[in-house]
Amino acid sequence: MRKIVVGALILAMPLAAAAEAETFAFDPPHTFPHFALDYAGYATIYGRFDKTAGRFTIDRAAKTAALELAVETVSVTTGDNERGSRARTRDEHLRTADFFNVAEFPRMTYKSTNVKFNGEDPAEIEGQLTLLGVTRPLTLKVDRWVCKVHPFYKKFGCGGNASGVLKRSEFGMKIFLPVLGDEVRITIMFLGMKQ
Amino acid sequence: MANLLNDPVIQSSVAPFFAALIVGGAMLPLRLAGLGVAAGFLATVYLVGNFAFSPLTAMRKIVVLGMGAALIGVLAGLAFRPTRSTGLVLGAIFGAASIWVFWSVLAQKPVPEALLYGVGTAALVVWLVAFTVSLHADPVRAGAAGLALGLGSGVAAVLGASALIGQYGLGLGAACGAFLLLVMILGRRVAAGTVLTLTASVLGALLGAGALLLAQLPWTSLAALASIPVLVRLPLGANSPAWVQAIVASIYGLAGAGAACFFAWLASRSSAG
Repeated sequence: MRKIVVGALILAMPLAAAAEAETFAFDPPHTFPHFALDYAGYATIYGRFDKTAGRFTIDRAAKTAALELAVETVSVTTGDNERGSRARTRDEHLRTADFFNVAEFPRMTYKSTNVKFNGEDPAEIEGQLTLLGVTRPLTLKVDRWVCKVHPFYKKFGCGGNASGVLKRSEFGMKIFLPVLGDEVRITIMFLGMKQ
Repeated sequence: MANLLNDPVIQSSVAPFFAALIVGGAMLPLRLAGLGVAAGFLATVYLVGNFAFSPLTAMRKIVVLGMGAALIGVLAGLAFRPTRSTGLVLGAIFGAASIWVFWSVLAQKPVPEALLYGVGTAALVVWLVAFTVSLHADPVRAGAAGLALGLGSGVAAVLGASALIGQYGLGLGAACGAFLLLVMILGRRVAAGTVLTLTASVLGALLGAGALLLAQLPWTSLAALASIPVLVRLPLGANSPAWVQAIVASIYGLAGAGAACFFAWLASRSSAG
C-alpha cells in the first residue's frame, strides 16, 4: 500500500510542478510597444504600434518564464496621419521600404531566451528581436510588474512595463542616419490575462 | 567630409554624376561608356549605405539585378551585335527575374492580387527593357531614356513616400545625365550599347515597381514611365548637332517622367491620408 502511495506521489510531482506555471495571453488593447528616438537633434520623437498578439508563461516558484510577442508593423503610428498639403504623412512614410517595409515584413517578433528574476518577480528578459528579417538580441528590463484580479475583467492578470534600447542600423534601417537617431528606446506597456 | 557624404543631394546627384562621368570617360576607348551608369548607380547605393546581401530584401534584389543587367549588358555588347529580338529576349529574362525580386511581397498577398501585381510588374519590365535596349545604337535617345526613367522613377517614388527608392532613382538619372553630357560633348561616337540600355531599363522598371509595391506609387505612374522609351523616338532634327538632339530627346523623355510624377501627386491628393 505504501509503495502505491509513494508511486502515486512521484507520478503526481511533475503535474504539481506544471500546475505552478501560469500562462497569460497579452491583452491587445493594453499591450503597446512604444519607441522613442532623436529627431534631428531637436527633440525626442515618440511612436507606437497599435496591434500586438502573444503570450507569456511564468512559474514564480521555479523562477522561470517565457514570452512571445508579435507586432503588426502596419499599425505603426506617430500621430502624424493627416496629409494636409503634403504628399504623404510621416506614418505612411514609416510603413514604406525606407523604414518598417510593412509590405515585405508585416510582423516583427520578440521571443525570450532567458528571464532573470528578482525574488518572485521577473526583472530582466533576454530575448531575440526579429525586425526587417534580421534577428538580434534585445534585453528588456522589467520596470514594473503587478499581478492581481483585474478590477473590470474580474480575472487574474499580470501587467507592467518593460524597456530596452536597440540600434536601428543593426536591423538594416539606415535611412536618414545620423539626422534621425540610431539609438531607439523601446518601452512596452503590457497586460496579460491568465488563460 | 562625413557630413557632405551624408547629404542626400550629394548621394543621389553629385556622386553618381561624377562617378558615371569618370568611369564612362575611362571606358570610352572600349566602347563601354554606358558602364558609367552602373558605376554611378552603385555610388548612390554605397553612399546611402543600405546594401547588404543578408537579408536579401526586395530593395537589395533590385540592386543585385541591376548589376546583373550591367554585366549581361557588357557581355552581350562584346559577344554579339544585338538584333531586333535581343531586347525582347532580355526583357523576358528580366521580367521573369522581377518575380524573384518581389516574391517576398507577392507571397503575402491574396492569389488574385499577387497575380495581378506579379504579371503587371513582369510586363512593365519586358516592355521597358525591350523598347530601351532597341535604342542601343542611338546614344542620344538611349541616354535621354535613361535620364528620364531615373528622374521619373526617383521623383515619383519620393511623392509615393519612399526616399530610399527616390534616391536610387535620382542616382540612376544623374548617372545617365553624365552619359548624356559625354554624348553632348563628344557626339554620337559615344556608344550606349546594351550595357547602358539594359542597366537603365531594368533599374528604372524595378524601382518604379518597387515604389508601387513597397510604397504608394499608383500604377498610372508606371504607365507614364512606360511611355518614355517610346517618347524619345520622336523626331530630333536629323541635321542638328548632338547636344541639341540630346536636349530635345531629354525633353521628350522628361515629359513621360513628368506625367509619372503628376499621377503620383494626383494619387496623394485623392487617396485617404
